Amino acid sequence: MPVKSYKKYISLLAFVGPAFIFYAIFLLIPTVAGMYYSFTDWNGLNPNYSFNGLANFIEALREDPDFVNSLLFTLKYVLFMVVLQNVLALMLAVFIESKTRTKGFFRTIFFMPNMISTIISAFMWTFVFSQVLPQIAEKTVMKFLDQLWIGDPKYSFYSIIIVSLWNGVGYMMIIYLAALQGVPQSLKEAAHIDGATPFQAFRNVTMPMITHAITICFFLTLNGAFKVYEVVYGLTGGGPGRSTQVITMNIYEEAFSNNFRYGYASAKSVILFVIILIFTFIQIRVMKKKEVEA
Amino acid sequence: MKRMTTSILCTFLAATLLAGCGSNNNTGNAGSGEGDKAVTEKAKSVTLKMFIAQPRFKEHYDKYIADFVAKEKADKNIDVTVQLEMPTADNASQILKTRLASNDAPDIFAIHAVNEIPSYYKAGYLEDLTSQPFAAKLLDSVKPSVTTTDGKVVALPLETLTWGYLYNKTIFSENGLTPPTTLTEMKAVVEKLKANKITPFVLSYKESWIPQLVLPLAVGGMMNTKDPEFVNKMNKDAASFTEMKSAIFDVFDLINSNGTEKATEVGGDDGAAVFAAGKGAMWLMGPWYAETILKSNPDLDFGVAPLPINDDPNATLINLSASTSLAVSPTSKNKDVALDFLNYVLDDEASNAFFQSLKFNPVATIHTYESYPWINDAMTYVKAGKSVQDPAMPQAVKDEVGKGLQAYYAGQLSQDEVLKALDKAWKSFNKVNK
Repeated sequence: MPVKSYKKYISLLAFVGPAFIFYAIFLLIPTVAGMYYSFTDWNGLNPNYSFNGLANFIEALREDPDFVNSLLFTLKYVLFMVVLQNVLALMLAVFIESKTRTKGFFRTIFFMPNMISTIISAFMWTFVFSQVLPQIAEKTVMKFLDQLWIGDPKYSFYSIIIVSLWNGVGYMMIIYLAALQGVPQSLKEAAHIDGATPFQAFRNVTMPMITHAITICFFLTLNGAFKVYEVVYGLTGGGPGRSTQVITMNIYEEAFSNNFRYGYASAKSVILFVIILIFTFIQIRVMKKKEVEA
Repeated sequence: MKRMTTSILCTFLAATLLAGCGSNNNTGNAGSGEGDKAVTEKAKSVTLKMFIAQPRFKEHYDKYIADFVAKEKADKNIDVTVQLEMPTADNASQILKTRLASNDAPDIFAIHAVNEIPSYYKAGYLEDLTSQPFAAKLLDSVKPSVTTTDGKVVALPLETLTWGYLYNKTIFSENGLTPPTTLTEMKAVVEKLKANKITPFVLSYKESWIPQLVLPLAVGGMMNTKDPEFVNKMNKDAASFTEMKSAIFDVFDLINSNGTEKATEVGGDDGAAVFAAGKGAMWLMGPWYAETILKSNPDLDFGVAPLPINDDPNATLINLSASTSLAVSPTSKNKDVALDFLNYVLDDEASNAFFQSLKFNPVATIHTYESYPWINDAMTYVKAGKSVQDPAMPQAVKDEVGKGLQAYYAGQLSQDEVLKALDKAWKSFNKVNK
């Protein structure tokens, strides 16, 4: 028996090894090093630095209103994105699934924006917001379109949401489509025969059957929304001022532009890491419980 | 037919590959040939590593370095091999920092004079160059940018900036205006332009470094007149930006209330297009956008003038600063050769053509070439004593002021809140760099 289990580990190592080495060198070691630096006052250049315990963490949460504001802004963004992205994606998926002949066409159309890189779609939309919409407002009577879509903090949040949704919904839609196709036809027919309305059938038959997809999509959107950077960078650059600054931008600014406080910025990243960890952990635990097998 | 094409392509590819190898071999042979000769004369051979983040000028540097290698061979019988590394400007400072931190410093490297010299000098990565011959040739207006607080020259400036704001000369002469020297005169200019249905200012505040430009001008002007010790006091936590309140906001408000619309959606390039199209008479911007402006309107006649910040004409000054500068690593094993190269950059004969081909401004007394009209405009002010060194404010403060003034323009922060944020940024800089 020992020989056999030994062999098992050998083959496991042989398969996992190469990938794990790269993973360790390029992700694991830097992550651990980053956590190590979060307890120091290193400035990214000076060979001498010293440990300062939890001072970085305390300063970030207590004395740094910009960081806290960016954290709140990110949370607001996460809330909007997780809800809207999943609702829209599911609606689109159900809509497409109900078509027979044009299914392929719509699927392609809605997935298309996802194939454009985020930063490019942000630049495209910058043009739409700053040039196209004001022109439309001028030519038609829709005066409400002539706003400072990306220059005014009141509207720029919604501009960011619009672009993120435009870019991200397609991918989630594909996942939901796959899940919807996996719902057994027999269950739906049985519900139909029992006299369930289409809405009842969707709520009580389809939804439970696609919970695993909902878990995945929630996980992906939650994770992605916390780490948002390109869209905001491309649209507003965090401005005007810091009104649309997300947490990743705040970290970048701290590490690479302000006072080059690498240690302090690492502490902020660790805080972000912990937040994401907690949120996704709770989410997975809660959603896993609701999954059912056909 | 298809196979035919493929085989032709293959042959062609192979041929180019071989040709590539061939040319390498040739140079290799040539090099070793020289080496053989050198051995007989007991020449020293030296490898010099350079790190200059200006890939767009690679040809110019290559040529100049080749001249240097020839000169070094002729004068001192040293065979110099130069490894020139030219990363893009975006990640250059990251790469350089990694090199320095891992004791793998290039012999000669380029840094940003005003932004990077203080921290690099403090970390001990810059060689003292005060006694080098080139230091004596630097223009008095340029030298302070590469001098540390304790009076040592630690770098050789390549790119220098002389700026205030840009104005459209055609619009000014059509309306019989000249660049104003006081804030009251500026107000009169603005009124006259408005009366003639011309927007006085182009605003472009999408990128936060553009509104930021008003701060060096205001602080520079004040330091030259009422408040010469401002930066020193700030470094000791003994002053506050409230001293600068009217200097910054009087002129900033004037610009904002007489500018183009939707400023928070207009970036630098868009602003250049608006200015080039003559949709505004003035633009708070330096001549570094000249190329972009001329690209969209090659016939535009524009000039550089100092921005008035109050009614004291002595505070209306052109800002002088340096950006890309060459420094020598103190750990360099070939320091003599590295220093020779730096001196050769400001060589009495060769330097003129080099700086002219790079389109840089003159930095030394030996530079006698003709520069652009807008640079000449600025230099006229400099020669008349109407200039000030870029105040040595921490980068963090400059970043903060850009964000703050953006938010102020968008109506989110009051003047006092902006100034308070600046004070805080400087205090935290002091704390970090104690």
